[in-house]
Amino acid sequence: MSEYQPVILPDIPDLDRIDVYEQHGGYQHIRKSLGMAPDDVIGIVKESGLRGRGGAAFPTGLKWSFMPTDGEKPNYLCVNGDESEPGSFKDRQIFEFNPHLMIEGILIAGYALRIKAAYIYIRGEYEKWVQMVEKAVADAYAKGYVGEKMKETFGTDFSCEIYVHRGAGAYICGEESSLMNSIEGIRPYPRVKPPFPAQVGLWGCPTTINNVETIANVPLIIERGADWYKNIGAEKHPGPILYGISGHVNKPGVYELPTGMLLTELIHDVAGGVPGDKKIKMVIPGGSSMPPLRGDQLEGVRMDAESLKEIGSAIGTAGIMVMDEDTDLTRILTRITHFYKVESCGQCTPCREGTGWMLKVFHRLLDGEGEPKDLDLLHSVAKNIEGNTVCALGDAAAWPVKFTIERFRDELEAELSR
Amino acid sequence: MKQHTTRMTLTIDNKTVTADTGASILDVARQNGIDIPTLCWHEQLSPHGGCRMCIVEVEGLSHFPTACTTPAADGMIVRTHTAQIREMRAEILQLFLSEHTASCLVCDEQEECREYMSTVRKAGVTTGCRYCPKDGQCELQAVTESLGVRDIIYPIYYRGIPVETEDPFYDRDYNLCILCGRCVRMCQEVRLADVLAYKHRGRDAIIGPAFARTHLEAGCEFCGACVSVCPTGTLREKARAWEGAPDREEITTCTFCGVGCQVRLLVKEDRIIGSLPADDPTVNQGQLCVKGRFCNTELVNGHQRIRHPYRRENDIAWDVSWDAAFELIAEKLRSSAPERTGMLVSSNLTNEDLYVAQKFMRVVMKTHHIDSTARLFYGSGFSAYLTLMDRAVPLSAIRDASAVLMVGLDTRFSRSVVGVAIRTAMKRGIRMFTLHSREHTFSLNADVWLQPEVGEEYRYVEALVRLAAGEDVTDRSIPADMRVRLADVARALSESDSPVILVGAEFLQYDSSRAFLAAVAQLADHVGAGVLTLPAQNNLYGSLLSGSFPELLPGMRPTADAARLQKLESLWGTSLTGLTDAWNADHLLRDDCAMQFLYAVGALPPVHRGAAKFTVFQNMYPPEPYCSADLVLPTAAATETDGSFLNGERRVQRVRRAVAPPGIALPDWDILCRLARHMGAEGFAFTRPEEIREEMAQVIPGFGEAEIDARGILPLAFDAVMHVSGNGTAQRPPDSDHPFILHSSVVEHTHRGFPLAAWVEGSRILFPEGVLDISAEDARALGLRDGDSVHVSGASFEEIYPVRIVRQQPRGALHASILESALTHPNPQPVSVRKADV
Ligand SMILES: Cc1cc2nc3c(=O)[nH]c(=O)nc-3n(C[C@H](O)[C@H](O)[C@H](O)COP(=O)(O)O)c2cc1C
Ligand code: SF4
Ligand code: SF4
Ligand code: SF4
Ligand code: SF4
Ligand code: FES
Repeated sequence: MSEYQPVILPDIPDLDRIDVYEQHGGYQHIRKSLGMAPDDVIGIVKESGLRGRGGAAFPTGLKWSFMPTDGEKPNYLCVNGDESEPGSFKDRQIFEFNPHLMIEGILIAGYALRIKAAYIYIRGEYEKWVQMVEKAVADAYAKGYVGEKMKETFGTDFSCEIYVHRGAGAYICGEESSLMNSIEGIRPYPRVKPPFPAQVGLWGCPTTINNVETIANVPLIIERGADWYKNIGAEKHPGPILYGISGHVNKPGVYELPTGMLLTELIHDVAGGVPGDKKIKMVIPGGSSMPPLRGDQLEGVRMDAESLKEIGSAIGTAGIMVMDEDTDLTRILTRITHFYKVESCGQCTPCREGTGWMLKVFHRLLDGEGEPKDLDLLHSVAKNIEGNTVCALGDAAAWPVKFTIERFRDELEAELSR
Repeated sequence: MKQHTTRMTLTIDNKTVTADTGASILDVARQNGIDIPTLCWHEQLSPHGGCRMCIVEVEGLSHFPTACTTPAADGMIVRTHTAQIREMRAEILQLFLSEHTASCLVCDEQEECREYMSTVRKAGVTTGCRYCPKDGQCELQAVTESLGVRDIIYPIYYRGIPVETEDPFYDRDYNLCILCGRCVRMCQEVRLADVLAYKHRGRDAIIGPAFARTHLEAGCEFCGACVSVCPTGTLREKARAWEGAPDREEITTCTFCGVGCQVRLLVKEDRIIGSLPADDPTVNQGQLCVKGRFCNTELVNGHQRIRHPYRRENDIAWDVSWDAAFELIAEKLRSSAPERTGMLVSSNLTNEDLYVAQKFMRVVMKTHHIDSTARLFYGSGFSAYLTLMDRAVPLSAIRDASAVLMVGLDTRFSRSVVGVAIRTAMKRGIRMFTLHSREHTFSLNADVWLQPEVGEEYRYVEALVRLAAGEDVTDRSIPADMRVRLADVARALSESDSPVILVGAEFLQYDSSRAFLAAVAQLADHVGAGVLTLPAQNNLYGSLLSGSFPELLPGMRPTADAARLQKLESLWGTSLTGLTDAWNADHLLRDDCAMQFLYAVGALPPVHRGAAKFTVFQNMYPPEPYCSADLVLPTAAATETDGSFLNGERRVQRVRRAVAPPGIALPDWDILCRLARHMGAEGFAFTRPEEIREEMAQVIPGFGEAEIDARGILPLAFDAVMHVSGNGTAQRPPDSDHPFILHSSVVEHTHRGFPLAAWVEGSRILFPEGVLDISAEDARALGLRDGDSVHVSGASFEEIYPVRIVRQQPRGALHASILESALTHPNPQPVSVRKADV
């Protein structure tokens, strides 16, 4: 794959500077978009096959087409950069190395969605990146690419504001409806759906929420066309994607490559393999919320939504976590469960109580007081949470436990008897 | 406007049902008699979807949606009770129960225990465990039972959260909380009070005011709305905990203020065990304030209630029979000259009580000497206050107004249902202005807070009048920034279609009150505003209409109205010419008041012993020690008699007898009728309030039974003149000898003359009587701590008060809440303050 030329994070020094970005064709794609009808922009994005990079791989063009066009209420766009999922650390590369690509993406999406304002929601701990994005936005305003002045700059009627909003340290704020509540300044409990954000979103107005990386793909699609885009990577889930590879690999990091890469190729070639050439016990392919895979299950698995679904996992945020043969799965699950227990908002019973009980049982196992029937208890609690909560954090908490017990029962029992 | 709705057809549990679009699956199921268990859902609140008890199966969906949050749709196929769903519900319930002190819910001995529980009062706690005051009324219990959960797979875990008992009226045991969030939604969505919130997250989530404040500190109105919707025993009314379920309910009208909320009294074993808001669309919209919600139960159940008539002489008291009491009164009355005989009533009594009382004085005693203590409350502004009556608009006007101005109204503990109505209207986008010298419920969220110096309120209203008339404000004593605000308010009121001015009780005892109220009337006329005064006395208007004043005959006609006199003469079959009308309640405050006979009906006469030769004291509670009372008669509380009240909108509303009076106590009207009959008078053969109303209806329009049931608004206008003790003494500014400004106001939280604080424990904390409020800065400078005694002296008075440090109190200003009889003038006045020597 060495011939692949990165486009989201291209190898151009100082691309985060607005002048450098402009030299490389920056802010011309919005100009081009403004020459089209908004619905045609949505059409191109639909045609390109772009799917959301925030976790659910939802077709972006389709999502955009849910937005009303009557303008009865203002429309909004939220760009989700809360990036708090363990194993996920790709959006901050965009903040750091190509923030203007995201900003231009916001303007194009904003035009297509007929928005009044966009909010870039950045996780609170990303202080350095918040500052970088704030600077980039300020530069774009200064150059007249954003806000009222863009009417003059581009000679159009369209203009939109961009605000940077920082989170305050809660994973749940990455959930789209929680994120909107957080921007509104109220307690970020996920909202009950329906109504969906495209009907009742931010301040009760139609809203689209997209991941940072999703939005960063948009100017590229406008620039090079839907055909170019849909020929990259996997057929049903095309495009460049940022793989975040971590855990027991020699060269952990974020790699931009086409979707649909072989998981083994990513681990062994791209990320330099497992230290000490140890065997792989477990891989979580899409951030900690996704069902884990066994090391002996990986052959031929490709990193795209369809392939991963087939084998019983999901692409999530393409954050690949590799664990070698010496890894203690009970400890891993305890750590993951601890995360979800702490991050559960507490709104719905199964998630609030269930995560707490699972953690209690895990501590019992770690203390050497567990019995095999505890694994059944864990499995049953996890199953009770799954599909039975207001937001997907419940599933996220349940899946690692449920699937690890199903797929690694032998390992876990062995750990128990140690 | 009729919404255009369409019908949809769906299948629930193999039953084909139809419903209007927009209904949730739960709505449709319930409409069709299909029960789905719920815990976080409540009919008054937005659906929450948190408890997950109501999950159902919908064909074509991979997950299980919650029936309460999922809109039903045409063609949907729903199953509510499959084995899988039942099992999932049971599992979720177990998660709740694992953290709940729930042995009572799943105990093996439950069946047997229940049999013996009926003897719990006799046998003590050994035969039955009661962990929770909500036992028997707990929704968690009901759901547990309906799902048949008898076992919990998780170990029981007690959270060990300390029970919160520091606030008045209700306690909180969050160990029992299931985080259904009903209380939070009630406080935030319906009351719009934003006191309750969720704190922390996940399993540490807990309910309470943010920042570890007590409810008192967080601005809680103690409306109890959160308590009413709590499905578990977490939020529990102090006075009602452990009472169990009521046997029956009775709807009546609240007796504590002129709003006249409709109340649902809970009765058990012929005792009031609680009062809840009635679901009344006209007045209170299912809400109450702390008084209607919590004070009533304690007030009517106090063990010090008088049960028997008793005689008092030389500090010795002994019970007497009714007959002996009547004979004694008759004897005293026979020897008492009409001009030195008077009756003092409270405007808390029912219309029927008051009508009989004035008839007794006019027919039997041949005098117009009947007066309400309300006169003392309103002082020099009484007439001015009453003339606002004809500008009254219904409470619903707040809903339709585009601008509201509140003057001297703090809705935190009184008339808080009006506060809710205003906040609801504000959410809709109306403009809201408040004029008040102290920080209060609306000072922060009003569009404009006009904050005059204490005693300067009338200047602000006068300025508004001038501005509304298109003139400039010349009054340079008003600071420039306030003049800008005044201009803004005047403009908004002038431009508003139907503004409403709400007058509170805050400045009514100031010497400027007459000027203030006159300015309010002028302002209302200029901007075309409706005025709602909502008097502190729940039946002030009823006392006027029934003629319980020396100046007024039944029908609110002046005593000089010859036609009315004639009509009454023929109705009562007696001559009414030449009756004396020289006395009123103000005389009781004078040193030279020498009454031969004073009859205080439901009022606390502000006289020291000996001011009247003989005093009959007829009330619910014994007189204060300083009160003269030679004969004490026990009366029924408003929950113990039928009758009617006329609220501040001028709406006649029923009062219903829910329980019997204690001992041999009788309703006021009944006592007076019996007394009149004992004295051989004609025209007092009434045995039921309806009969009294039948007679009233002949001189007072609107008192027919059907009219009362309709709860219509009487088109009353006040056109008499009340004698007021004119003072209006000019206010003096503070000087070096008297560096503080003391403003006194009469406690409006009284009932039948007593401050609620006397008989209702929680109200001692919320609205104490006889305390001096001081700002934290001033207290610090004077070295005072909460509860210290201070010596306050003005030009012509001295008093010792306990102090209460109040954040809201402006610096340099002191505020005393006192009883009518303790009022001194000028008010406000400059005073000096020092710590009292102990
Ligand atoms: C608990 C939780 C946390 C989430 N955190 C993030 C996040 O940090 N960033 C993100 O883009 N999406 C996150 N999501 C997914 C969002 O809800 C939403 O699906 C996404 O932002 C949509 O963007 P996309 O369509 O571009 O993928 C989270 C979802 C859940 C349930
Ligand atoms: S699933 Fe968990 S995080 Fe999501 S709303 Fe429910 S309690 Fe909150
Ligand atoms: S008593 Fe009323 S104001 Fe206080 S917390 Fe409950 S609902 Fe809110
Ligand atoms: S206190 Fe009561 S109403 Fe409030 S969340 Fe807990 S159980 Fe529900
Ligand atoms: S507002 Fe007045 S009538 Fe209503 S509950 Fe309170 S005291 Fe009673
Ligand atoms: S009642 Fe529907 S989720 Fe609680």
